[in-house]
Amino acid sequence: MDNGTPQSAKIGATFSKEAFFTLSKIPVKDIIAYILVVTGIIYVILRGASEQGYFWQWYRVPQFLFTMEDGTFTIGPLLEGLKITLNITWISMILTYAIGLITALLRLSDSIIGRVFARVYLEVARNTPLIVQLFFIYFVIAPILGIDRLFAAILALSLFEGAYASEIYRSGIVSLPKGQWEAAHSLGLTRFDTYRKIILPQAIRRVLPPLTSLTISLIKDSSLVSVIAVYEMTMQANAIVAETFLTFEIYFTIAAIYLFITVFLSQLVALLERKSKIYN
Amino acid sequence: MTEKKFGDYIINVDNICKTFPNGVKALCNFSTNIRRAEVVVVIGPSGSGKSTFLRCLNGLEEIDSGSIIFDGIPLDDDKNNRLKIRREMGMVFQSFNLFPHMTVLENVTLAQQLVRKSSASVAKSVSMELLEKVGIEDKVASYPAQLSGGQQQRVAIARALALKPKVMLFDEATSALDPEMIGEVLDVMKTLANEGMTMICVTHELGFAREVSDWVIFMDEGRIIEGGTAEHFFSDPKEERTKGFLNQIL
Repeated sequence: MDNGTPQSAKIGATFSKEAFFTLSKIPVKDIIAYILVVTGIIYVILRGASEQGYFWQWYRVPQFLFTMEDGTFTIGPLLEGLKITLNITWISMILTYAIGLITALLRLSDSIIGRVFARVYLEVARNTPLIVQLFFIYFVIAPILGIDRLFAAILALSLFEGAYASEIYRSGIVSLPKGQWEAAHSLGLTRFDTYRKIILPQAIRRVLPPLTSLTISLIKDSSLVSVIAVYEMTMQANAIVAETFLTFEIYFTIAAIYLFITVFLSQLVALLERKSKIYN
Repeated sequence: MTEKKFGDYIINVDNICKTFPNGVKALCNFSTNIRRAEVVVVIGPSGSGKSTFLRCLNGLEEIDSGSIIFDGIPLDDDKNNRLKIRREMGMVFQSFNLFPHMTVLENVTLAQQLVRKSSASVAKSVSMELLEKVGIEDKVASYPAQLSGGQQQRVAIARALALKPKVMLFDEATSALDPEMIGEVLDVMKTLANEGMTMICVTHELGFAREVSDWVIFMDEGRIIEGGTAEHFFSDPKEERTKGFLNQIL
């Protein structure tokens, strides 16, 4: 019987060592791989820049973000642009979700006209380049509706991303078990109540991850509205680069800002997802 | 057996046919009438159309021809009629179909508030009463995924009863359950039957059929092969196919 104790202790020890590498929250291998990849990329960029004889002038960047003079804080053109980018983004985001939901519901409805309309919109918005849509809405639609370029940009972005959103919603809705519909029907719930109380709350939880990806795309695609001269962050960056030739510094800076916003957003959604997982 | 008093006919099913899009004939010239307070058990081999019959009664499946009249309301294309009928019929499914994003209590109160427009407090007290009746009163704040199959099915029964239906439909309510949980669900069904609820049960539980049912229907290939009182049906079946089926499962 004496034999038993050390043996089981040994098994326990090997298990916990295994557990440290496979189950622990710190993915050591991944971190090493990540550092190697990032170092490699930086090396290639620096090497490329030095081959071109690029003259790094990072010290000139902060003034485009903000300036401090006599204790007064003034925001620079990049952050000015960021404000517009954020404004475009959040309004387009809400419109995207709304357009997507309406389109998805139309496609799943009994109305033939609704289904055809949704389908045509979806295919046009999804299968033509965003930049063409931007020009079309700005030069053709905006004068008819009498809207300014900022709203034209928001409209174009929302219509483009809304098409993708509708497919995301639709996949979430049809992925629910048929029994949920049947249970709601058997209780005499109306179609509206069934969607509102049973189907959508479940479907939206399911599609949170792809919807987040879409929102991230939206944030990045908002840089395209610079083509219709909306002075959002990328447009400001273009202007600064044209004046100062700080090409890499400025573009890296705005890339970092985009990255910051999108990572912040995905963390927020991850938190939301963890909270809504309770019932599963 | 004590003699039960039945009322008038509450459901008239006349000559209904149902063919699925894939060409399978689920129901063929099917007729039956069901009286108030009657417990009808439908048995038969799988694919015989038992569940389809039940699902046609509350419009989950469309019938191709024939007619269904429930308590004077025809089940037709009129959406309002459909809603009315569904609201008077409770249905319990093989796979429970509870709403997983709602607590047990919310599952039971939902339809009372949306359909019957009950106030939150009334709906809650009705729900608590029903959950007590099915023995789930201590789990009202749980989510369905936290309950066993038997408990989920009992919640589903309470949910269906919450609208005070005139008829309860049970679609193989115990088929998805582990053997040790079948009893608790059947007990609830027996209680309901004894209280005079009109029930139509598709089931494989012949013991339940024998004990509780007033009328047994044996179906095969979308038709009624034989119908009779439980005593007659089990002790003295007329048709060869019924005998064969009973021999196979008993």
